Amino acid sequence: MDTLGRVRPPRIAVLVLVAATVGGCSSPQPGSTDISEVPATSAEAMTALLAASAEPVVLNVWASWCIPCRSEGPLLARAATEFAGRVRFVGLNVRDDQDGAGAFIAEFLAGAPIEHMADAAGDIPAELGGSRAVPLTFFYAPGGELIELHTGVLDERTLALQIDELLARG
Amino acid sequence: MELSLLGAAAIAVAVVNIALRGEALLGTATEGTRSLFDVALTSVVVGLGVGRLGAMLGDGVNPLAHPGDFLIVRGGVATGWASLAAMATAAVVGRSHLWAVLDGISVAGVAGLAGWHAGCLVRHACLGTPSQLPWAMTQPGSTITRHPVELYAALALALLAVGLAVWRRYRSPATGTAAAFALAGAALVRLLTEPLRPALGSGPVGWYLAGLVAGATALVWRWRVARLAGTAPPLAG
Repeated sequence: MDTLGRVRPPRIAVLVLVAATVGGCSSPQPGSTDISEVPATSAEAMTALLAASAEPVVLNVWASWCIPCRSEGPLLARAATEFAGRVRFVGLNVRDDQDGAGAFIAEFLAGAPIEHMADAAGDIPAELGGSRAVPLTFFYAPGGELIELHTGVLDERTLALQIDELLARG
Repeated sequence: MELSLLGAAAIAVAVVNIALRGEALLGTATEGTRSLFDVALTSVVVGLGVGRLGAMLGDGVNPLAHPGDFLIVRGGVATGWASLAAMATAAVVGRSHLWAVLDGISVAGVAGLAGWHAGCLVRHACLGTPSQLPWAMTQPGSTITRHPVELYAALALALLAVGLAVWRRYRSPATGTAAAFALAGAALVRLLTEPLRPALGSGPVGWYLAGLVAGATALVWRWRVARLAGTAPPLAG
């Protein structure tokens, strides 16, 4: 019985070529979207925003140097689009620079109804009850009650479940 | 967090191994246990890779620009492409005894899927849509009771695997029909449980429908082929 180790190299090369062609066509070029500067925020301003929000809030903490953040970026963009008007999505960029943040937003979050803010020192998540790890995702009920804190990469099922939990409580 | 995925995967692989050994003991194994395990494992790994690639491309992430993202499996795996690639790999690797190999891994494959779904207890990802049923569960800190949908799927797939094993042991079905039934049955279980899962968008429902149709078609086809050759027992009863 054959094993995969005996697949011929030329066929692998064709597969790689096809993947490269398709892959090259499928993603936007970094910096091709004009992203204005990500505004800085503070723990006090963030707490006030959460308390004043009439909708549930999904607060995602990310950084452009955070590799796992790239995996959940498109997922959050999809969710923000699907639940626009019912759930508020806020992206908090931490310990990053404007160029990196802008490029990340342009590549993974462009066009999504997400409010972007920056925390250069990266202290806000810990002051909200989280930690300095990224990615982090906070799920808040209207009025700012923390329902769930998710550490690490979000998968679709977890995100969908937590959003469902937020909407069910509302 | 990635360790919980590994834990669930380890459970699934262990169940595949146990199922193959179980069939060997029953005397229904069509090939060597070790060979079938290699086929199953290779198929899963290739399927996982293709599914991860599919998810990245679907999200607009260039895998050549961000190759490391390929390893962030929790970022998503495109179920349909993963399943297709796994089945294609099994067919390619076992092509010299195609239907015998596919039948040989059918019970183990379904059992492995059941193990993966049961691994939701390790991944803390068992819950679905709200429910008032007596066995509904809540997540920590919540009062909203929910269907343990992944456990439903695990139970249904486990029953399917046992049924397939019994069928193969005592009815000697026509070659290829066990594999076809496994595909159709697994697709049906996912299709029936999908409405109980919170999801973004509609989920891979189209893929499950395609799997059901493909499995049912293959089931009828393989039975008719055997019938014409005079080697088919009745399909049921």
